[in-house]
Amino acid sequence: MSRLSIQGVGKTFPGVGGAAPTQALLPVSLEVADNDFITILGLSGCGKSTLLRLVAGLEEPSSGRILLDGAPVAGPGADRGMVFQSYTLFPWLTVRQNICFGLRQKGMAAAEQREISDHFIAEIGLRGFEDHYPKQLSGGMQQRVAIARALANSPKILLLDEPFGALDNQTRVLMQELLLGIWERERKTVLFVTHDIEEAIFMASRVVVFTRRPGRIKTEIPVPLPHPRPYTIKTAPEFTALKARLTEEIREEALAAAA
Amino acid sequence: MKPGLFVPVSRGARIGLGIAFFLVFGAAWWTITAIGAVPSQFLASPAETVAAGWQLFTKFGFSYDVGLTVWRVLGGFVIAAVIAVPLGIAMGAWKPVEAFFEPFVSFARYLPASAFIPLLILWVGIGETQKLAVIFLGCFFQLTLMIAMIVAGTRRDLVEAAYTLGCSERGIVRDVLLPGAAPEIAEALRQVLGIGWTYIIVAELIGASSGIGHMITDSQALMATDQIISGIVVIGLVGLASDVLFKQLNRRLFAWSHL
Repeated sequence: MSRLSIQGVGKTFPGVGGAAPTQALLPVSLEVADNDFITILGLSGCGKSTLLRLVAGLEEPSSGRILLDGAPVAGPGADRGMVFQSYTLFPWLTVRQNICFGLRQKGMAAAEQREISDHFIAEIGLRGFEDHYPKQLSGGMQQRVAIARALANSPKILLLDEPFGALDNQTRVLMQELLLGIWERERKTVLFVTHDIEEAIFMASRVVVFTRRPGRIKTEIPVPLPHPRPYTIKTAPEFTALKARLTEEIREEALAAAA
Repeated sequence: MKPGLFVPVSRGARIGLGIAFFLVFGAAWWTITAIGAVPSQFLASPAETVAAGWQLFTKFGFSYDVGLTVWRVLGGFVIAAVIAVPLGIAMGAWKPVEAFFEPFVSFARYLPASAFIPLLILWVGIGETQKLAVIFLGCFFQLTLMIAMIVAGTRRDLVEAAYTLGCSERGIVRDVLLPGAAPEIAEALRQVLGIGWTYIIVAELIGASSGIGHMITDSQALMATDQIISGIVVIGLVGLASDVLFKQLNRRLFAWSHL
């Protein structure tokens, strides 16, 4: 049975000030298996982030339904962790306090919170930064803490909305490796939204390509590359072939959107 | 460094410049009185003012009046804050609460507290209750609106992040809205305390048997401009001192927002 089942889910935003309603997402269906790493690839504004927000429960679908382990999604919850593109660490909390935020909401004992936060601080390579405030960290470090904060809650599925979109290229590549390493060790079900083709292939077991706005699923492409994946895999022939194919798919949409 | 816009000055230079203007101001004042541009019964010289101030404190027990005025301001301000802070937070967090209170509070904010003094004297006499009521009226509505606006301005992405970490609505108010808005709320309190200072003197000028304002009215009857001016200077000094203390307290309590 699939862990996450998206069944004919669409979203239309009401028009503001008499304007026509905006169709952000045409009904899409998607099955995500346990421990799957799905990347959703699409142009800006194609509705891919909207789909993620619907799964997170931050928006309500206009049609269709979303099931997580067979139970319908109604509103946000700790079983779906999310990492946003913007830096959303709580600026008044230290790195450790941020990571423990969800655990504190659950009323977990302090000793256990400490143990879990220790594990994830090590996992994201930020030992020695436990008592730093977000403003004292670089963008990449902040996103690493945001990932740890979401994982510490041990969600059933991790949702990432272009988490490395604001980072420079070099940092982004390092972050991809770090996240993939964590995924290989922790085995989480992941839904990862991006507009970066290389990122989409490198991370994924399956790439879901979105059409231009209003978005729907254009095609799904499995990525049969073995794990662990070193960064050098990006120059492997299998990788470049996938990249060429996805570049064509996305270019088609970009041309149509520009027309 | 080349001088220019927004280039900060050193701490020493800042203090020096700040004191320099007080000296310039004092010199101008002294000159006006020394050349007899204004008769001394209308404008006392700086020296006369200092002497009168010394006499007020040593001979006429002025510290009792100052203490009483401070007590009145703080009393009325604390009562206003105790109600305005929770009400403002509720208005900022829940739109129906805002819709219920906001129009009235906005209307009441434009009613000058000093205009209520005659009415308040009729209602509760010229005792302490009347002073506290004037301060309360002067501070409460302003403070409520400022806090509601601060809380309503909470970053939505932080609220959404908290939701995806399993935070309840109550948890969000307690662990996101409150700590996030606290530094700005403290800043609003500091500003409104300043407003309280302007109202207390008005209240004491009109009907009181003690306090700085009362001393000023008494001195007017005696044409003692030196005492009036020293009273005004004392108000300024106490106001400045409370402002500096408040600012330092805020800096210490909310170190994260000054990083």
